[in-house]
Amino acid sequence: MKLAGLKSVPDAHDESIWAATWVPATDARPALLLTGSLDETVRLWSPDELVPAGTNTGHCLGVVSVAAHPSGVIAASASLDSFVRVFDVNTNATLSTLEAPPSEVWNMQFDPKGTVLAVAGGGSASVKLWDTATWQLIATLAVPRPEGPKPSDKSGSGKFVLSVAWSPDGRRLACGSMDGTISVFDVARAKFLHNLEGHFMPVRSLVFSPIDARVLFSASDDGHVHMYDSEGKSLIGAMSGHASWVLSVDASPDGAAIATGSSDRTVRLWDLNMRAAVQTMSNHSDQVWGVAFRPPGGTGVRAGRLASVSDDKSISLYDYS
Amino acid sequence: MACVYIPVQNSEEEVRVSLDQLPRDASDILDILKAEQAPLDVWLIIAREYFKQGKIEQFRQILLEGSSHEIDEYYAEVRYERIAILNALGAYYSYLGKIETKQREKDEHFILATQYYNKASRIDMHDPSTWVGKGQLLLAKGELEQASAAFKIVLDGDRDNVPALLGQACVQFNRGFYSDSLELYKLDPENVEALVALGIIDFQANEAHGIQKGMEKMQRAFEIYPYCAMALNYLANHFFFTGQHFLVEQLTETALAVCDHGLMKSHAYYNLARCYHTKGDYEKAGLYYMASVKEINKPQDFVLPYYGRAVPCPGWQGLDPARLAGLGQVQLKLGDFRSSLSNFEKVLEVYPENCESLKAVGHIYVQLGQTEKALETLRKATKIDPRDAQAFLELGELLISSDTGAALDAFKTAHGLLKKGGDEVPIELLNNIGVLHFERGEFELAEQIFKEALGDGVWLYVMDGRIRNSSMDSRDSTDQYKDMKLFHQLEEDGVSLELPWDKVTTLFNHARLLEQLHDTEKANILYRLILFKASFLDRLCLHYPDYLDAYLRLAAIAKSRNNIQLSIELIGNALKVNEKCPNALSMLGNLELKSDDWVKAKDTFRAAGDVTDGKDSYATLSLGNWNYFAAVRSEKRGPKLEATHLEKSKELYTKVLVQHPGNLYAANGAGVVLAEKGRFDVSKDIFTQVHEAASGSVFVQMPDIWVNLAHVYFAQGHFGLAVKMASPSPAFLFLPNFFFFLGSNSFPNFLHVFMITFFIFQYQNCLKRFCYSTDAQVLLYLARTHYEAEQWQDCKKTLLRAIHLAPSNYTLRFDAGVAMQKFSASTLQKTKRSADEVRSTVAELKNAVRVFSQLSAASSYHIHGFDEKKIETHVGYCKHLLDAAKVHCEAAEREEQQNRQRLEVARQVSLAEEARRRAEEQRKFQVISFRDYTIIIILLSVWLGHWKSHPNMATPWVLIGKQLERRKQEDELKKVMQQEEQFLRIKEQWKTSLPMPSSKRKDRSQAEDDDGGHSEKKRRKGGKRRKKDKNVKGRYEMEEADNEMMDDHDEMEEDANMINDQQEDGGENAQDLLIAAGLEDSDAEDETAPSSAINRRRRAWSESDEDEPPEMMQRESSPPAGDRENSAELPESDGEIRENDFRDDESDKPNRDAGDDDEVDD
Repeated sequence: MKLAGLKSVPDAHDESIWAATWVPATDARPALLLTGSLDETVRLWSPDELVPAGTNTGHCLGVVSVAAHPSGVIAASASLDSFVRVFDVNTNATLSTLEAPPSEVWNMQFDPKGTVLAVAGGGSASVKLWDTATWQLIATLAVPRPEGPKPSDKSGSGKFVLSVAWSPDGRRLACGSMDGTISVFDVARAKFLHNLEGHFMPVRSLVFSPIDARVLFSASDDGHVHMYDSEGKSLIGAMSGHASWVLSVDASPDGAAIATGSSDRTVRLWDLNMRAAVQTMSNHSDQVWGVAFRPPGGTGVRAGRLASVSDDKSISLYDYS
Repeated sequence: MACVYIPVQNSEEEVRVSLDQLPRDASDILDILKAEQAPLDVWLIIAREYFKQGKIEQFRQILLEGSSHEIDEYYAEVRYERIAILNALGAYYSYLGKIETKQREKDEHFILATQYYNKASRIDMHDPSTWVGKGQLLLAKGELEQASAAFKIVLDGDRDNVPALLGQACVQFNRGFYSDSLELYKLDPENVEALVALGIIDFQANEAHGIQKGMEKMQRAFEIYPYCAMALNYLANHFFFTGQHFLVEQLTETALAVCDHGLMKSHAYYNLARCYHTKGDYEKAGLYYMASVKEINKPQDFVLPYYGRAVPCPGWQGLDPARLAGLGQVQLKLGDFRSSLSNFEKVLEVYPENCESLKAVGHIYVQLGQTEKALETLRKATKIDPRDAQAFLELGELLISSDTGAALDAFKTAHGLLKKGGDEVPIELLNNIGVLHFERGEFELAEQIFKEALGDGVWLYVMDGRIRNSSMDSRDSTDQYKDMKLFHQLEEDGVSLELPWDKVTTLFNHARLLEQLHDTEKANILYRLILFKASFLDRLCLHYPDYLDAYLRLAAIAKSRNNIQLSIELIGNALKVNEKCPNALSMLGNLELKSDDWVKAKDTFRAAGDVTDGKDSYATLSLGNWNYFAAVRSEKRGPKLEATHLEKSKELYTKVLVQHPGNLYAANGAGVVLAEKGRFDVSKDIFTQVHEAASGSVFVQMPDIWVNLAHVYFAQGHFGLAVKMASPSPAFLFLPNFFFFLGSNSFPNFLHVFMITFFIFQYQNCLKRFCYSTDAQVLLYLARTHYEAEQWQDCKKTLLRAIHLAPSNYTLRFDAGVAMQKFSASTLQKTKRSADEVRSTVAELKNAVRVFSQLSAASSYHIHGFDEKKIETHVGYCKHLLDAAKVHCEAAEREEQQNRQRLEVARQVSLAEEARRRAEEQRKFQVISFRDYTIIIILLSVWLGHWKSHPNMATPWVLIGKQLERRKQEDELKKVMQQEEQFLRIKEQWKTSLPMPSSKRKDRSQAEDDDGGHSEKKRRKGGKRRKKDKNVKGRYEMEEADNEMMDDHDEMEEDANMINDQQEDGGENAQDLLIAAGLEDSDAEDETAPSSAINRRRRAWSESDEDEPPEMMQRESSPPAGDRENSAELPESDGEIRENDFRDDESDKPNRDAGDDDEVDD
C-alpha cells in the first residue's frame, strides 16, 4: 500500500483550488478529474498527464464544491454565491442552476444510483435533496437543533452543515456540521436517525467506506480522522497525525485505505488495518483542500489513482497501489 | 601476653619483661640489658617492640646503645646480631629519608643510613641482609641500578634469598617491568608477604583479570596466614566493591584485632566506614572515618578517609539526578558542605589531579550554588580523565540550565562511556538526553533515546498500534479521555501493565513527544496508562510525581480539540489530587474564559496567583490578560473602566517582567497595553525585540507578535509618515529610509503603497508560519489592509478565503459584500472605464446584491449580529448602483464606440502624417523622427485618455492635434460638469435630509461635507491619533490565553467598522465629487493648459485618495452605538442619490451647456 507521485501541475488554476472529484469514465472517454477554484472556474483534466480538457466559467465567487454523476455524463459545481450549476461534462452546456435561498451551498454528492443530488445547506442547518431528472427540490433533511438554543453563540455556528456523504447502498446520508456533530439520516423515510459525536470542531469532509456501508470516515479541524459505525452510533477509532485541520478525506476503491488532505500541507495515506498513517506526501506548499481516488471502471484502467488539490494552485496525481 | 626473658648473669634466673609494659624511659631497660649482658637479640626484640608501639625515640635509643663501641667490643664475636642492629638502624634512617620531604634532612637521613650499613659491612662483607638493606636504601634514594646491583650481590650468593628477591622485584616494579617482578615474587609460593605483594601488583595492573588473580593470591595468603593485616585489608576492600558488606566487617575486625600498625588500622577503619557509609548508617560511618583519620599522623600517608569524611552522604557516587534530588534533604541534614569542602581541598593539595575529589568538590560547589566554580572544577575533572562518565554526567546536569547544547554533549559522552564500559546506563541520563533533544527540536533522536530508556513494556504495544482505543458508543466517546476500561480489559487479557516508578517520567516525556508530533491518540493512551497506574498506587498511598501533569496534558489535548467540557472535567480531576496546583488553576481559568465565564475565570486566576504567593508568573500574566480583555471587551468601552483595567494589566505585566525580565509573553502584553495607550514607538520596539527573541525555540510560537508588529506598523503607517521606521526584516530596511529621505510629504502615496505591501507581507508571514493559513482572523486583517489600499479585488479574494475557512462567519460575507460594493462604486467613479470594466462592475454588483440579500434572508434563522434593516440598505444601495451602472455601461459602450471612431480618425491622421513625413523625410531627418515619436505618444494618450501636461508634448500637440484635443476636451468637461451638477444637488439633498445631528459622528460628517477641502484634512489628522489604538487592539492573545469570544467580539467590531465605512459610501461619493467640484471652482483660474480640467480632476481624485484612508480610520472610531441611527438615516439619502442619478441621465442637455461654458473659459 503506497502512493507514488505521477504528475504535478503547478498553476493549474489562477487561484487556490478548493475542490476536486473524478468524473467516472464513459464509453467514449476515460475518467476525468474535475477541479473547482477561487478563480471562479471549473476545469477538467484528463489523466495521467493531466492535460486540460476544458474550462468552465460562469460562477461568481469561489467554487467550493464539485460533484460528478455516477454515469459520468453530468456534473455539478457550487460556489460561494450559493448557486449550484449542473452541466453536461462533454459539452459544458448548463443543464440547470439550482438555488434554495437562503440556504448556502457547501459540499455536494450524487447518490450512488444517480437519482438524487445531496447538497449541504450551511446555515440552513439542512441537507437539500434535488431530483436529478427534473432538478426539483424533493426534500430538505433538517438537522435537529440542539436542545436549549444558545443565544450567546454570536457566530451562529450552532448547526451549520458543511459536508455530506451517501452510504454506498444509498440508504443512508450523513452530514457534518461546524460544531463537529455528524447527523445520520434514513433517506427513504427522509428521517433523522441519530448524531455521531466525538468531534468538537468543524467536520469538513465525510466519506463512507465503499466496502462496508456502515463505516463512515470524518475529517475535522481537530486534526483527527474518526471512523464511525454509522448504524451502531459507535466510534470505532480515531486517527491522529496531521498537524492542523484535516480538510478532506476519501476512501480508496478497495476499501483498504483512506487518504486525507490537511492544512498542514500534506496528503496522508492511512492503512485501515493498522489504523496508522503509512505515508505522508508533502509536495504541496499550501493547504490541501481536496483529495479524490479515481473510481474503478473504464477501459483498460485498472491502476489506482489519487488526486490532490491545494491552495498553492497546483494539482498532484499519484499512483495508488 | 608476649614477654621476653632476660637471663640473669651467673645464675639460672631470668628477668621477665612484659612487652606490653615496657617502661616509658628506655634507660631502665638499657640498664638491665647492660647489667645482665643480655644477648643482642633481646635488645633487638625490645627495640622492635618500642618501634611497634610508636615509641620511636626509645627504639632509637636502644639501637644506638646496641651499636655503640662498648657493645662492639664486648660482643665482638656476636657478629650477626650486631649487623642486625646496624641494619635496623640503617633501615630506620632509610625510612626517615624516604618520607622526609625537605631535601636537606632527607640527605642527612640517607647519609646516616649509609654509615650504618657501611659499618655493618665492615663486620661482614658478605652478610646478605646488609646488602638487602643497602639495596633498600638505594631504592629509597631512587638509584635503581645500584639497588639492583646490591640485590644481585645477595642473590649471587643465595639464589633464594627472599628479601633480596623482593627487593629486586621492587626495582623491576619501579622500572615498570611488572611481569619481571612477578617472576621474582613467584619464587616462593608460600611466602605470605610475597603473595600479598604479588596481589598488590596484580591490583595495580588494574585489569579485571589482574584483579581476579590478585584476589586469588590474597586469598591464598589469607589461608596460609589468616592474620596478615595487609591481606585482610585488601580482601575487605575487594569485598566492599563486590558489595559483600558482611565479609568486609568480619575481615576488617580481624585486621584491627591483629594489627597494631597505624596505617593498617587506618585502612581497616576506612573500609569499615565505607561499608557503613554505603549501608546508609551515616553516624557509624562518620565515627569510623574519624577513627581512620586519627590513626594516621600525616594526611600524605592515607588520604582516602578524608574523602569519606568529606562526603558523609551517599549520593555523590551515584550522581544520578533523581537520586541526588531525592537525597538532597539527607545531604543537607548530614552534610556540612563547608568542612567537607575543606577536607577535599586537603586531598587536592596532595593530589591536585584527583578526579574523584574534583568531582566531589564540583558537587559541593553545586550544592553551595557556586555554579561557575562548579563548572570549572568539573570541566577540569573531565579533562583529566576523559573516560569518567560520572564527571560528564555531573557536568551535563550543571549545564542544563545554561547551555543545553553543551549539556547534551556532556550527557552523550557519559552515555557513550557507560555503554562502552558495559555499564548499565541510568534511565535518568537517557531521559535527560531525550528531553534535551526534544527541546532542541530533534524529535527523531529524542524518540530513539526515549525508546531506549523505556525498554520493554506495555507501551511498545501502544506505540506500534497493537493497543488502541476500542470501539465505543460515540455518545460516550467524550469520556474516552477518562476511560480506564481499556486497561482493565488488558489486565484481564493477561497483558502486564507493569510500569516501574523510574520509568514514569520518561514515559510521560515520550507521550509529550508523541503529542508534539501530533500522534495524539497514542499520547492519550500513554497518559491514561500513567493515570491508571497512579490511581492504582493511590490506593496504596503511593504517589507518582508526574501523574498530575498527565491530567493536565489530557486536558490540554481536549482543549485543543475544542472539547471544553471534558477539559474542565480533567482539570477538576487534577485539582482533586492537588487543589493548589497553580498550573491546573491557570488552565482552568483559561478554559473558563473560553466558555465566557469571566467572573469565574478571574477568581481562578487569582487563586492561582495566591497559591504561589504571586510568584507564578503565568498566573500573574493570565490575570494581566484578563484585565486587558476586560478593558477592550465592552463594546461601549467606558473610558474610565477601560483605563483602570489597562492600568491594572500593565501593572501585572510589569510585575512579571520584574521577576522574569525574559518573559516574552509579559513583554508582548506590555507592548500591547502601550500601543493601546498610543505609545507606538515604545510598543513597536518591544514587539520587535520579542519577535527576535521568539524565533528560535520550538516551544515558543508567537504568531501574535507578527500580528502585533503589523498592527503597530499599520497604525503608524497612516499618521507617522514622518516617523522613522525600523524594519525587522533586512529586505525592507533600506526602502523606508529611502523614502524617508525623499521626503514623505512629496511621496505620500508611494510610501503608503509601500507600507501596505509591508503589512501584507507581515500578515501573510504570520499566516504561513504559524497558522498553516487556517486563521480566518488574520485573513480578515489582511483583507482590511487591502481594503485600506483600495485593492478591492485582493480584498474580496482574501475575504472569500476567509469565508472558505470559516463558513459560518457571516460577518465575513457581509464584508465581502462591502468590498464588492466598494469596488463597483470606485469603478463607476473612474473617469475612464472600458465597457468591460463596467460590465464586470455590473457582475460584481449583482454578487453584492446576492450576498446582502442572502444575509438578509439568513438573518431570519441566525443571530449574526446585523440589523436586517442595515442589510436592506446595502441591498437597496447596490441595486441602485446596479441601475446606475447599467446606464454607465451603455455610456461606456457608447464611448468605446466613439473611441474606436477616434482611433480611426487618429489612424488616418497618422497615415496622412506619415505621408507628409515621408515627403519631409528627404529634407529633415532628425526633426521628423522626433515628431514621429511625439505623434505616436500623443495619439496614444488621446485614445487612452491619459493626459499629461508633458512639456515636450505641448508644442507638437498644438501644432498637430488641435482638432482632436478639442473634441476630447469637450467630452471630458461635459462629463465633469454633469457630475458636478448632479452632486451639487445631492449635497443640497444631503443636508436637508439629515436628521437632527444627534451624534458626534454625524456632526463631523456634516462638517466634512461643508468644508470638503484642505482645512478639513488637517483637522482630521489631529483627531486621528486618538483612534490609532483600535488597530492594534485587534488580535491579542497569549499562547494559552486565546479567547474565542474576544475574537468574535473583534470581528464584530471590525465588521461594525466596515459597516460604517459602507454607510458613508453614499455620502462619500457625493463628497468626493464635491471636493472635485470645489476645486474646480477655486482652481479654475490657476490652470492655463488646455487639459486643465482633466488635470484638475485628476488631482482632485488623488487628493481625495489621500484623504480617504485616514477618514476610514476615523470612521472606525465612531462608537458602534451610533450605527443604528445612521443606518436609519441612510435609506433616505440613498434614495436621493438614486433620484439624482436618474436625473443625471435625463439631464444630458444642461450638462452639455455647462461644458460649453467651460470651453469659453478656455
